[in-house]
Amino acid sequence: MVEAPLVWSREELLESGPYAEPLIAGGVRCHGGFDEDGRYRSPRTLHRGPAIAAWQARLAREGTPLVDIDRRLMPPQYPSVAQAKLLLQQGVRDPVVRSLTIISIVEGFGAIIRDVAVPDLHALVVEPVEGTALAHLGEGLFEAHARDESGWREEGGHKQMWEAARDLAFEKPKIPSDVLLRMMGRGGRGERGERLLPELDEKTERLIVMMAQVLAVEVMAEGTFQWGIELLSDPEVSAAPERAGDMVRYVRADESPHVEYLRTALSELRGRTLRTVDGRSLAGREAVDRVLHALLRNLTRSRPRQQRDDVRTTLAEDMKVAANPAALLEAFDALDASWTPPERTGFEPERAAAG
Amino acid sequence: MKRSTRLWRTLRVARAAFTLWCLYKVPAIWRRLRGLPERKGAQLDATHERAARVVLACALDLRGVIIKTCQAVATRSDQFPPAFVNQLKQLHDAVPPKPFAVVREVVERELGKPLGAVFERFDETPIASASLAQVHGARLLDGREVAVKVQYPDIEEIVRVDTRNLRRACRVYERFDPQPLELLPLLDELVSHTALELDFRREGASAERVRRLFAGDDRVRVPEIHAEWSTRRVLVMERVSGMKVTDKQALIAAGLDPADVVQDLMRVWVRMIMAEGFFQADPHPGNLFVTPEGRLVLLDFGLSKQLPEGFGLGLFELMFSMMTQNESAMLRAFQELGFVTKTGDPSTFLLITRRMMNRSESGRFEGEFTEEMTDELFDAIRENPVVRVPADFVLVGRALGLLSGIAHTLGSRANVLQAMGGG
Repeated sequence: MVEAPLVWSREELLESGPYAEPLIAGGVRCHGGFDEDGRYRSPRTLHRGPAIAAWQARLAREGTPLVDIDRRLMPPQYPSVAQAKLLLQQGVRDPVVRSLTIISIVEGFGAIIRDVAVPDLHALVVEPVEGTALAHLGEGLFEAHARDESGWREEGGHKQMWEAARDLAFEKPKIPSDVLLRMMGRGGRGERGERLLPELDEKTERLIVMMAQVLAVEVMAEGTFQWGIELLSDPEVSAAPERAGDMVRYVRADESPHVEYLRTALSELRGRTLRTVDGRSLAGREAVDRVLHALLRNLTRSRPRQQRDDVRTTLAEDMKVAANPAALLEAFDALDASWTPPERTGFEPERAAAG
Repeated sequence: MKRSTRLWRTLRVARAAFTLWCLYKVPAIWRRLRGLPERKGAQLDATHERAARVVLACALDLRGVIIKTCQAVATRSDQFPPAFVNQLKQLHDAVPPKPFAVVREVVERELGKPLGAVFERFDETPIASASLAQVHGARLLDGREVAVKVQYPDIEEIVRVDTRNLRRACRVYERFDPQPLELLPLLDELVSHTALELDFRREGASAERVRRLFAGDDRVRVPEIHAEWSTRRVLVMERVSGMKVTDKQALIAAGLDPADVVQDLMRVWVRMIMAEGFFQADPHPGNLFVTPEGRLVLLDFGLSKQLPEGFGLGLFELMFSMMTQNESAMLRAFQELGFVTKTGDPSTFLLITRRMMNRSESGRFEGEFTEEMTDELFDAIRENPVVRVPADFVLVGRALGLLSGIAHTLGSRANVLQAMGGG
């Protein structure tokens, strides 16, 4: 098999394959489509898929392992499928409708990745970067990611696909008026924490932190996709189990290139040497692992509590529509599964130092 | 109010209305008789300029609801020519104060006590004066420093008389102008707002509502209202001092990062508008301070507005569709927000949006409603009278434009989408 080239133009990375049939979701034309055999094909993957495979093959030849985030670090969705199903069966729809709406909005916000400034990599990285995913971040990869998440022009993206899944499953439900309040609920700007990579200039630090953050969120989203597919495909609670579940499956398929290009770019950085602001050098591995470790440790600690707090803020109020709210709350809590995050993130500083 | 005063106010409005009629209609009739084309462009701009000065002089003479009306006109660049907007903008912070004796009388009557029974000190020179009230610094007997907002005497009667006069003037104008601006709905809206603003207990309640909303946020401060000394016409609140929000040098000298101030400012207003659906609709720099510790201080809740349910989500969808250049989603969002085309042709919205986006630096919408963009939006709507804009949108658009102006002064950007949590 002939390996794909390593250098691509922005236009090529944004190009979609021919579709036999477009994807229409809830009356909205969405990105992607179906081939002659009726299989879903993600958008903007005609060349992006082969390009990522080629960059990963190059990494393998160089002996640089791909960054891999342990899936066990990702907390389970709250409420769980069983809890969400219980609520829906009791006529309590707002928590699930609210969650799905917030997911759609957060997906849409993925578009901000196009605004991440990419520093001059030739000045930053000691080794050559030609023919890497890194060199293509600002040349199509971020833009493709942004368009996948938020949609572009008349084609809806993941935002509209989650909305369509929600509307199909629950027949255009009324959106709780507090959706934006709950989404912004955690509110405060927060203190500007200590810099994670003070050796590097802020622009470079922002790029690495942003890529690591998005990768962690993308990996974590796997649990959300599984939750969405199971719940929305369940004929006991979903009005359109096949189509609603499929919609989430398509989103999940589209996310795969995002995880792969981010893993690739971070791995390429890990295998190289970075120039610091004071003219010294910093092992890319040390920089990337320091950021990933800090982020993952924070996410595994704060994320489950935040998600739980968000839902429980309005749960009692939402449950008032049920026949017996107190009994429902008890049954809901009985379905709660405990979760303990693994001790190690896999990117501990000592591990980096040892390498 | 004396009968002679009422008569004087009526005649003063009538004189201004007649002068305006002469400025616009006499040349128009003259030109028609001579078979000349109607005045346009610079010729008409000069007339607008003179007319705006006539209105400004009348407002400064009569104060009260006339000033409120002019302030409202100054915020409606979607309906009025730039000359009016620019001239009348002065009334936001250039209202001469009333003598202290008048203020003292109101406070003592309202509190039912002499000043000395409540205040250890009451500054005779006001901190600020506006259309309906002025604000004085004072110290309570327990030593707490306060700001006291005092309503002008007879203001309710003045509002009634002025409203009646303005309504008459509007009817006459609409009767004689073949293509009149829709002034009466604007006046009705203004009267309802003014009635609310005249009740300081309501303003106090609005301040408390916002105070509760940010109770857990140590970066935001809303002065506490001293309800025990507040009445319908007197509002006593905690006095908080700080740097003017637009004083970049002072912020930096205090060790603060102006970008953080903008981030806080946007977070606060975006939360009020998009999430809470209740907001302080007048975030001009005079109503905002920053304490030396970096806390943002919000003042003046007289113009606070409850937005209709779903407004925040509708506005978000509009901005989101503009960001992704999704025109069908844009049309849906415009309609959900209550925009109406008189012809039923929605493509007008798209033309207006394209004009607005062309005014952004990048030629696309990136989450910020700049002053240039909101000006362009309102210019486009004014030039294209087939569109009706919901009043709530105008208020929100103006507030976001003001915030953008502050952000730019501080060398930053007022990105609404980022403040919502996307960044």
